Amino acid sequence: MAETRDMVQIESLEKYFGDEKERVHVLKGVSLNIPEGSLYTFLGPSGCGKTTTLRCVAGLERPDGGKISIGGQTVFASGERVYVPTNKRPIGMVFQSYAIWPHMTVAENVAYPLTIQRKSKDEVKRRVSEVLKIVGLDGLEDRPAPKLSGGQQQRVAFARALVNEPKVMLLDEPLSNLDAKLRVQMRSEIKSLQRRTNITTIFVTHDQAEALAISDQIAVMHGGVLLEVGAPHQLYTRPKRRFTATFLGLTNLINGKVLEVDGDSRPGKMQTKKGVLSFIPAPGLKKDQAAVISIRPENIPLHKNKPEGLENVVDGTITEAIFMGDSYQCKVAVGDDIVAVHTHPFNTVSVGEKVYLHLDPASCNGLPADDKEGVDESNMGD
Amino acid sequence: MGNRFNSQSLILVGCTLFVLYLAGIPLLMLLYGSIRSAPIGEPGAHFTFANYVKAYADKEFYLLLLNSVYYALGTCTLTFLIGTFLAWVSERTNTPFKKLFMVMSLIPFIIPGILSTISWILLLSPKIGLINIVVKEALGLEAAPFNIYSMWGMIWAESIHLYPLVFLLMSAAFRNMDTSLEEAALTAGSSTVQTFYTVTLPLMRPAMVSVILINFIRGIEAFEVPALIGVPAKISVFTTKIFLAIHQFPSDFGLAGAYAVTLLVISTIGVLIYGRITRKEERYATVTGKGYRPRVVDLGNWKWLTLAISFLIFLLAVILPIFVLLWSSFIPYYGVPSWELAGKMTWGNYHYILNYPLAATAFKNSFYLSVGTATLVMLLTSVIAWITVKTKLPGRAFLDTMTFIPIAMPGIVLGVSLIWVYLTLPIPIYGTIWVLLLAYMTKYIPYGIRAASASMIQINKELEEASFTAGGTWFQTFWKIILPLLMPGFTAGWIYISIIALRELSTSILLYSYNSTVLSIMAFDLWEGGQYTYVCALGVLMVLMLVTMAAIARKLGAKIGIAE
Repeated sequence: MAETRDMVQIESLEKYFGDEKERVHVLKGVSLNIPEGSLYTFLGPSGCGKTTTLRCVAGLERPDGGKISIGGQTVFASGERVYVPTNKRPIGMVFQSYAIWPHMTVAENVAYPLTIQRKSKDEVKRRVSEVLKIVGLDGLEDRPAPKLSGGQQQRVAFARALVNEPKVMLLDEPLSNLDAKLRVQMRSEIKSLQRRTNITTIFVTHDQAEALAISDQIAVMHGGVLLEVGAPHQLYTRPKRRFTATFLGLTNLINGKVLEVDGDSRPGKMQTKKGVLSFIPAPGLKKDQAAVISIRPENIPLHKNKPEGLENVVDGTITEAIFMGDSYQCKVAVGDDIVAVHTHPFNTVSVGEKVYLHLDPASCNGLPADDKEGVDESNMGD
Repeated sequence: MGNRFNSQSLILVGCTLFVLYLAGIPLLMLLYGSIRSAPIGEPGAHFTFANYVKAYADKEFYLLLLNSVYYALGTCTLTFLIGTFLAWVSERTNTPFKKLFMVMSLIPFIIPGILSTISWILLLSPKIGLINIVVKEALGLEAAPFNIYSMWGMIWAESIHLYPLVFLLMSAAFRNMDTSLEEAALTAGSSTVQTFYTVTLPLMRPAMVSVILINFIRGIEAFEVPALIGVPAKISVFTTKIFLAIHQFPSDFGLAGAYAVTLLVISTIGVLIYGRITRKEERYATVTGKGYRPRVVDLGNWKWLTLAISFLIFLLAVILPIFVLLWSSFIPYYGVPSWELAGKMTWGNYHYILNYPLAATAFKNSFYLSVGTATLVMLLTSVIAWITVKTKLPGRAFLDTMTFIPIAMPGIVLGVSLIWVYLTLPIPIYGTIWVLLLAYMTKYIPYGIRAASASMIQINKELEEASFTAGGTWFQTFWKIILPLLMPGFTAGWIYISIIALRELSTSILLYSYNSTVLSIMAFDLWEGGQYTYVCALGVLMVLMLVTMAAIARKLGAKIGIAE
């Protein structure tokens, strides 16, 4: 990769679950590199392999093939029969349930990684109070763990993971057990904590909003396969895979066939039921290939009169308009299909009205239709 | 490079070998010994079926079989009736004072079987029985109305000792039953009686059958009552016959082996059926779940009747036996309570026991064995429970099965097997306290594994994974995280095992020697010597010791781990 070093490298990771009779292939050759100091997210629906990948990095699962290295040290390599046990890896982990030991106080929990290395009492005390300060729990040292709130437990889990100054922090859906309000707050705290400590962090989540808000890079996974990696903005605005487009927020999909395409920098043309539409092609899209155009509801301007001189204009009738405060969420019947359109609340719209939709080519992402790994979510609107 | 998965496999192999040594080898040696013509080590021994021919050709064998089955059936029926009645009263009716039932039912648990048997002899013996004398005088009868030295006397003494288990299991079954299932039947138009037959009974059936089976097995395996009551009454069952075959001179090890194998087969069949039923029962349990408020039946004035019957049961099961033990321990010679005798109350019996030549040895041995067995078994079964519950290692199912083998081995059978093992193997521990330790460990592994697994299942896997990711080794994780979290189950198992180990008789009686005498053996010998008042003093001391140990264990357990 470029100038930054890769802290975690994963090569063609393979993992099966179950016995001989019922083997499930949960990781199908996952390869990725995580730059030092970044906050890297594994995103995908449940069962996509994101947690399994994380647990392989931690050494809690033993992969069936591939290679993993952390900070240049190989911790697993199937060919060379290398397997470094979890307790010898330079990691800190925050679990979904936080896994705060109920028979210990806050300080005992946080000190554990140091005490089992028989560090001196003074050093343990100093480090514990340092990290408790970092996570904002100073003063709660002697509180028994069961007497903590959910948010506090999570901070203890972070402090415990940080205290050993790991090379990599592993966060397994750490926000999923918090209520909605606390979740948003902790999300920004995790981000600022990561910025301050600059520890390479892997964050696992199934929540796309969380992933977009927090990550430097997101790896989208589905069905045990890594689909694509990118910065949040890039993945949201210019997805390369159909699954990425549908999983990261709402989108409209329009099926068609590529008529002309010339690289991925210039617009191509696609034959659809709504006529020939211009789009920005995903890399590798070829002429005559079955494809879809993905366009997000908030990127579709709605016109009462047919706009002149614009490409990709279709007409339809509003069948549903829900006022959400910050927008109107409309369903527009275009031929046999329904297109979801979010429009500014000042644009008064009413059901039954005839409107024109401008599917701006810059907002239309042309993606391969035969996305084997992607679920078929060709629901227009919804 | 260290490898957590390899060290796991190593622990698994270690545990499996140890459990095989404890449970598997005695089993093999028993089968082997039963087909040898002479005790192992004696010259000229050869393979033979003569022991079985001798055993099965004897008419007495069929009498034994009949007696054993009769006794076990009587015991399981009577315990079932008493225990289920009390459980129903306490869980499903509005009978007053039912909160006391649990306490009253737990007390008999702490009284060793030999003491409870002795107390019933002191109550129902035709000559000296307290109840007999009182009833005879009150009604002006010629002869004693009750005779403990009879089949029904034996069944009664056994049942009144064993019913608390039925009470506990049936209470749990009543409590866990989803009463909305009954209510659904009622709203569908079925009457209360119809509902009982069509819904309640089928739902309770697995629990009932398994409870009956447990007590059938316990009846077949019982030793104390048959030895103390059955032998003088000339009513023999398998356990006493095996005991006598070894204690006669010269010992007939081959015949004892043949009888032991027969007894083992019977109890194994029982255990296998029990295993099938409880698996089904667990399936029911997962469907229903927990947290239901039981539907309490308003008995109206009948509640005084249920209270009276319950109180009568507790009077017989708890108050009278404890009273007769306490009373006899303070009087100089055995006699019916009277003001005259009360005036002669003395600490003499206690003095005698404490100055008895073997007493110090017996107290020390029993204490070490009880604490040692409970601690070692719980440590071992905690590790085994971790393997079977938390890992996916191949071979863990086999280990799990092995730990349950001893439950099918009656104490007397285990004793016979271990005689074979340590007379044959070049391990010089026969006749020492170590052979008793191994015997107790074998016997109580199944109880330990139950307590440990039940607790282990409740420990979230992430709690131990957090220790690994924090840099902890397997040993550090087990010692600092798992064991403290396991403490509630560990303590409960420890207390139970230390109690039953302290009163163990049926295995010890075949394996002890002068220097490895334990308290239950001392009590047995004093009783055989007719020193009734001394036995009672010893019994009271044993019970006090048990209560103290249990209390200390609870305190320590709460200190080390999480409070319950």
